[in-house]
Amino acid sequence: MKIGVFKFSSCDGCQLAFFDLEEELLKLSEIFSVEYFLEATSSNRWSSFDIAFVEGSVSSPEEEEKIKKIRESSRVLIAIGACAVSGGIQSARNFQDFSRVYSSVYQQHYDLNPLSRPLSDFVKVDYEIRGCPINKESLKEVITALLYGRLPQLPMHPLCLECKRKGNPCVVVAYRTPCLGPITVAGCGALCPTFKRGCYGCYGPVENPSLEALAEGYERLEMDKKRLREALKVSFNGYNKNIREWL
Amino acid sequence: MKFKIDALTRVEGEGALEVYLRNGKPEGLKLSIYEPPRLIEGILKGKPYNVIPDITARICGICPIAYQMSGVQATENAFDIKIPKEIEEIRRLMYFGEWIQSHALHVFFLHLPDFFGVPSILELAKIDKELLLAGMEIKRAGSLIVQMLGGRTSHPVSLIAGGFSSLPESLSGLMEPLELALEKSLWAIEKLKGLKFPDFELKGIVFVSLWEEDYPILKGKIDIQGQKIDASSFKDVFEEFEVPYSTAKHAKLKDGRTYLVGPLARFNNAFEKLSPLAKKISVDMGLEPPVNNPYKSLLVRMVENIHSLDRALEIVKGYKKPEKASIQVKPKRSTGFGVSEAPRGILWHRYTFDEKGTILEADIVPPTSQNQPAMELSLWSFLEKQKEISESWLQEHAEPMIRNFDPCISCATHFLKVKIKSV
Repeated sequence: MKIGVFKFSSCDGCQLAFFDLEEELLKLSEIFSVEYFLEATSSNRWSSFDIAFVEGSVSSPEEEEKIKKIRESSRVLIAIGACAVSGGIQSARNFQDFSRVYSSVYQQHYDLNPLSRPLSDFVKVDYEIRGCPINKESLKEVITALLYGRLPQLPMHPLCLECKRKGNPCVVVAYRTPCLGPITVAGCGALCPTFKRGCYGCYGPVENPSLEALAEGYERLEMDKKRLREALKVSFNGYNKNIREWL
Repeated sequence: MKFKIDALTRVEGEGALEVYLRNGKPEGLKLSIYEPPRLIEGILKGKPYNVIPDITARICGICPIAYQMSGVQATENAFDIKIPKEIEEIRRLMYFGEWIQSHALHVFFLHLPDFFGVPSILELAKIDKELLLAGMEIKRAGSLIVQMLGGRTSHPVSLIAGGFSSLPESLSGLMEPLELALEKSLWAIEKLKGLKFPDFELKGIVFVSLWEEDYPILKGKIDIQGQKIDASSFKDVFEEFEVPYSTAKHAKLKDGRTYLVGPLARFNNAFEKLSPLAKKISVDMGLEPPVNNPYKSLLVRMVENIHSLDRALEIVKGYKKPEKASIQVKPKRSTGFGVSEAPRGILWHRYTFDEKGTILEADIVPPTSQNQPAMELSLWSFLEKQKEISESWLQEHAEPMIRNFDPCISCATHFLKVKIKSV
């Protein structure tokens, strides 16, 4: 099986999950042929790929071309991480005045799109691995499933379930801390509530996030809708198709 | 000639090298990083101070703690908060975790294949699997520290202005993996010191690191080879500027000198402060400052890892959960500065806040942009000595030279697309 790992606008953190596989990565390489993976090898070939793993968001004209080219060359395309799935933290600018954001960092002109967008705005994405960053267990599950020809089973239920199962006190109830857990996909191990803070949404939204209901919850904490909107914009997934229209 | 870039933020990422030749002789070169900018500093404007550690972490998946640490320290500096020593000690431990995993990743996964003449660890595993497995063991120990204190190995969640959101009851689970990693490091360095390091000396480059009581990592004054300045004077002494061929900004000393940050700079400036074990290992193999050969940065990273493991064990042994994980933060209208030693060198942050703690301005100078001119200078003196330059020679020799500088990861392996232009 021929695989490729590609990077778009991102921090590199999701590709690290491959290195985190450690010895299992070596074993996998006996089954897979790593054709293209700039971060891992100096021997790269652009051929046809059975699986393309893509990290990062699409935020320049060049990247728009590149993602289309990858799609054409790949049987299965997998978006890895919040940037690829939703546009990432850089998509927070999609809700700001682009020229002001841009000019506060650079004077010169670079070819950059005003919007940072998810891969699925441009091409068909077969599977998503959630997280900022993704974790190696999810990556392993997807690889194993594809090897055995079954559907990957990744959590799609809200973080609250995971949090309860872990026996955490609810941060909203216990500390009156706002939390995006009710609309965020589980899978991280309910990290933030475990560390006594509210979930900030880095695994992205569940399929039909009840944002209005969550807004009501915020009101009970004496926080207005605006506060929820601001939190979603920096949730690393604010430009996800299931959130952006509500914002 | 027009050079088009669709390029980067200030994060290290994919890049390119262009060399200009006249009659086969090098006439100029450009190291360009062309990832699309992510405009993090612009995004931060108008946001509350408490998003700094979560957002700036995402500048780099390999050294998120460095961004979080410089960020929260700048915030604390702005709001006049003094962090208790016991909390700072835990922050050091977490930072050592990042150094250990980042250095192990670079040494074993990215740099080492060059010394064995293979394209990646997949081939390296067939030559010396035991060495690679030792590297993985070391990396895992660093990851465990970060995971235990911050929940996950990249983009941990516990660091906040004022301290930590929560701290573990005990760290005793770290003892065994850290001891094992130290043992593996001592074993591995014995092997690594026998590698063939090409002859090359950095010339005319100033070493810049932090200066604190300990071997520099968490905070301190900026040490410009003896001259010490405060973080707040950074922009008086250093100049960050844009170059047309790279979206990563460059930096130089204002007097025009080129400088280098990172393991070599720290080692050369603060050798005496290494842990006794790390110092002894270093002296025994004849590695003493000044180390000017960038290829030997591989050994320096290993020495820094031994120091980190040694110090981490000391902190873990003495760990007692503090009564309070954090102290109260009260925002005020002000400007704050924070600087710490990312695995790749000093990382400087400045923020201006309004009275509610809303960010009015953000300015971040990462290590890789500071190192770009030094990398170009080194490449230049390297190319000058070469009689005939072909594309394959460049690919074979220039890339490893760049990797010596570990220009943050995405790049560190293969960020180079070599092009030759005839003028």
